[in-house]
Amino acid sequence: MHTVSRGLPLLLAALAIAYPWLAPNYYLVYAGALTVMYAAMSTSWNLLGGFTGYVSLGHSAFFGLGAYGTGLLVVRLDVPWAVALLASALLVTVFAVGVGIAAVRVRGASFVIVSIALVSMMNLIVQGWRSLTGGSTGLQVPTPFPGLHRGQTHMVFFYLFLVLLALALLSWWYVSRSRFGAGLRAIREDEDKAESLGVPTGAYKVAAFALSALFVALAGGLYALWFGSLDPIFVFSILIASSMVLMSLLGGVRHLYGPLLGALIVAPAGEYFLIALGETQIHLTATGLVLVLVVLFMPDGILARFTRKRTGPSIPDESADQRLQGVTR
Amino acid sequence: MVSLLLQGLALGVLTGGLYALLASGLSLYFGVMRVVMVAHPAFLFLAAYLTYTVHTTLGVDPFLALPLTVPLFFGLGVAVQRLLIARLAPDNLAMMSVLLTFGIALTIEGLLGTFYTGSYKSVSMEYATRSLSVGGVHLPYDKIIAFGVAGLTLAVLFAVLIRSRFGQALRATIQHREAARLVGIRTERVAGYGFGVGLATAAVGGTVLALITPFFPASHWVWIGKLMAIIVVGGLGSVVGAALAAVLLGVVEGLVLVTVDATWATMMFYVFLFLTLLARPQGFFGGRLAHRF
Amino acid sequence: MARVRKGLTTISICALALTACAKTDEPGAAQSPGQQQGPVKIGISLPLTGDFSEPGKGIQEGYKVWADQVNAKGGLLGRKVELIFRDDASDPNRVSSDYESLITQDKVNLVFGPFSSRLVIPAAKVAESYGMLFVEPAGAAAEVFEQGFRRLFYAAPAIASDHYNYLADYIIKLPADQKPKTAAYASLDDPFAQGTAYGLRDKLAAAGIKTVVDEVYPPETTDFAPIAAKIAAAKPDLVVGGTQFEDSVGLVRALQELRVQPKLAAFSTGPTLAEFPAAVKGAAEHILSPVGWSATATFPGNQEMVKRYKELFGGDANEDAANGYTVGQIVEAAVNAVKCVDPTKECQDKLTEHIRQGTFETVVGPLSFDDKGRPEQAHMIQQYVNGKIEIVLPEQAKTAGLVYPKREW
Repeated sequence: MHTVSRGLPLLLAALAIAYPWLAPNYYLVYAGALTVMYAAMSTSWNLLGGFTGYVSLGHSAFFGLGAYGTGLLVVRLDVPWAVALLASALLVTVFAVGVGIAAVRVRGASFVIVSIALVSMMNLIVQGWRSLTGGSTGLQVPTPFPGLHRGQTHMVFFYLFLVLLALALLSWWYVSRSRFGAGLRAIREDEDKAESLGVPTGAYKVAAFALSALFVALAGGLYALWFGSLDPIFVFSILIASSMVLMSLLGGVRHLYGPLLGALIVAPAGEYFLIALGETQIHLTATGLVLVLVVLFMPDGILARFTRKRTGPSIPDESADQRLQGVTR
Repeated sequence: MVSLLLQGLALGVLTGGLYALLASGLSLYFGVMRVVMVAHPAFLFLAAYLTYTVHTTLGVDPFLALPLTVPLFFGLGVAVQRLLIARLAPDNLAMMSVLLTFGIALTIEGLLGTFYTGSYKSVSMEYATRSLSVGGVHLPYDKIIAFGVAGLTLAVLFAVLIRSRFGQALRATIQHREAARLVGIRTERVAGYGFGVGLATAAVGGTVLALITPFFPASHWVWIGKLMAIIVVGGLGSVVGAALAAVLLGVVEGLVLVTVDATWATMMFYVFLFLTLLARPQGFFGGRLAHRF
Repeated sequence: MARVRKGLTTISICALALTACAKTDEPGAAQSPGQQQGPVKIGISLPLTGDFSEPGKGIQEGYKVWADQVNAKGGLLGRKVELIFRDDASDPNRVSSDYESLITQDKVNLVFGPFSSRLVIPAAKVAESYGMLFVEPAGAAAEVFEQGFRRLFYAAPAIASDHYNYLADYIIKLPADQKPKTAAYASLDDPFAQGTAYGLRDKLAAAGIKTVVDEVYPPETTDFAPIAAKIAAAKPDLVVGGTQFEDSVGLVRALQELRVQPKLAAFSTGPTLAEFPAAVKGAAEHILSPVGWSATATFPGNQEMVKRYKELFGGDANEDAANGYTVGQIVEAAVNAVKCVDPTKECQDKLTEHIRQGTFETVVGPLSFDDKGRPEQAHMIQQYVNGKIEIVLPEQAKTAGLVYPKREW
């Protein structure tokens, strides 16, 4: 058992590294890079969602800002791409701290609403600020590797996204073993109790929010460099964030590899639905139903089914409602 | 300039009334179940499409679709609550319900696209393009009708909430679920009916929307953010608060539209949302505990 | 810092190994002989769902009518034409991955363009980098042609900013006592819609017609009454809307409600769609729009296309379908002229060269292109006269006279 759990990730990593050479054509490399990008993003989403239980539908905002930040630095200020990528990710992280301070003041539903609003707001700003961002005509970012042809560019970005994924996984793993991670979990299980026990919940939540935004912004920046054309209504789309959520949830938010597994399932499945049911809009219904079914029947994700670990809170947490039911019956 | 401002103000009040109707259901859901129903706008457009079908196949006034859609939506609401929402684990209900209803919204959008195609539909009545002039300010009849229907529906809703036994039980459930159960209210059933009433308002709202704007299956997305902002500013779970916030934001939107531009007008919803969270996270009319959810 | 180094290492490793990265489907790689004999596969990604699904569908039908007629005539160079459609769900990620897979996985012989200026640029990037000819039916915004694409051609009479050229000439030539003095512009924040309105605005402003309102609204806008109120307060002689469908309806209704009575009202796109008159009722009367195609025109193939469209799809053909059909006509002419239809660089180069040099007879009239792929012709102007769509400009194509000033709403 032990060797399997040690060996499996290594084997998977080796497979991932070999993938671009094994793929029979560049389209599959491209699709692979996109999948790895989503895996990296949902893993970083899970830094917030998995530990604290705060569901953000607003991470598209960080994705878009990272993309536009990188693109603008490269296009308007002629900054080298790697510098632009890191600088914009840092700026987005600072921004996320600011937003986080306002957003984590509220819990649950209000937080979700705030996160949705954040995406809409950023979309309006970027679309409206025509002189800087190009507005609805979009922003065209030159490729950082003009010497490579398209397929080779896909391969480079496949590895760049893979590095990002590795960093996100490492961070999650590191946090999960730290005092910080324990604090975040306490927030998930009972925020009020955690606070009264002296966990600095506010600061912890903001930190998790910002860390999670950092990696999503990096993914956005890489996307801008790779894809080359940005359009506000598409990068600030709530559907991007909802994919991160769906992937994390399907795989299992309490597991290191949960979001990765989810991405490996959802991204190809989405492609399949589109091709199989593409002529009508019924593929939206298929996606919607999958989400409904996952939420209803597998809220802890696939991995929870295969691990023996208790998935619930460490203290049996029946709601006051359930306790009451016991009393009144 | 003054007349332009007055015109903006008048239009804002009328639009605000419509917003109040559209947001009232969201407040109800939140009140009874602490659930943010992302699919509410999708249901609005489902109702708009049904209205369109009734109007075009039977050739009757769009409002005659209501006797059909209101009971249907009430039933759907009860079903959604009993069969889906009530099954969610209570410890993470708020978050999971968002995802669940997000899935429902996608499902509805896909079905609408499949059955009605992606093309724009509209219901236009003769009265929909004329207006009433009061001292240089033009009040479009379709907006007056929308405002009137919204006012009437909300009045009925308040009357039900305040006067009827069901309303009292519902309010008790909203205020304190456990206590309500202790005094003998069957909160599960009441919550189901609360959802039904919420969706019934969507049936009315959809008909009104169909009258004033063309629509297509993806139309619901633009409404999600706006309506959510309204219920947060008003205070989650407070139907009265949502109505007042709706009118306030409608007026602000109207005034900003005539003085600045449409981008800033839409932005105002989110500016107010963030200001509310910073100044009074529970909203301006919500209970003290609203921000806990 | 460690991260940068790690990233750079990865890149350099791959760069070193790139010679090994070569795939068998390298663009321009030799075709297997068997493939020469199969059908001519044409790859197309269209927004069949999502925001742009309606025009996307129109274009798809245009493509289908074209393929149907080509196959009835015996195909392209004697090979049957097979269209492979992908749905991009109005999403640029999808557009790219669709063309990526069509070109490298399905190994199509040709690609045709998608819909909307917003999706054409990402799609053209893919086609361009694989060296494929890219004739497209819908990317009219000026920016499309400023990306340095060398294989892109827009198969319609004119780019967005030239759509209103005939109308601009008409207005500028009006006698001084009839000539409008003020104009109000309201435009959707969209490169195509804005392009049309601003093309007219700039020409009229240069001719001394004062711009009194110049509004831009985001796609999220649902309430047009306050915008109309602004226009009403300025009492303009002309109202111009850079619109798509729902906002054109919203604006017309709101202008009516607020009793704005301009002498001339022009809206892009919306009024050319079949749903428009029903949505605004009588208000459609005398509204002007640029239109690239007319169902009654006698250009070669047009009547056959209209007829076949009706047989295949029931309804009446629209401009989107005509644009799709035009793409087919141009590519068909080029293939027949250069006698090849392979995805190889040589063949695609020949096709591109041929299209750049030639003039093509299409259902929207003769088309030729400049060195950036911009068509060099002009859009006609249509007007609702007595409830019917009539072509009123230019002089040589008109079916009725332009009514000016317009009837009150």
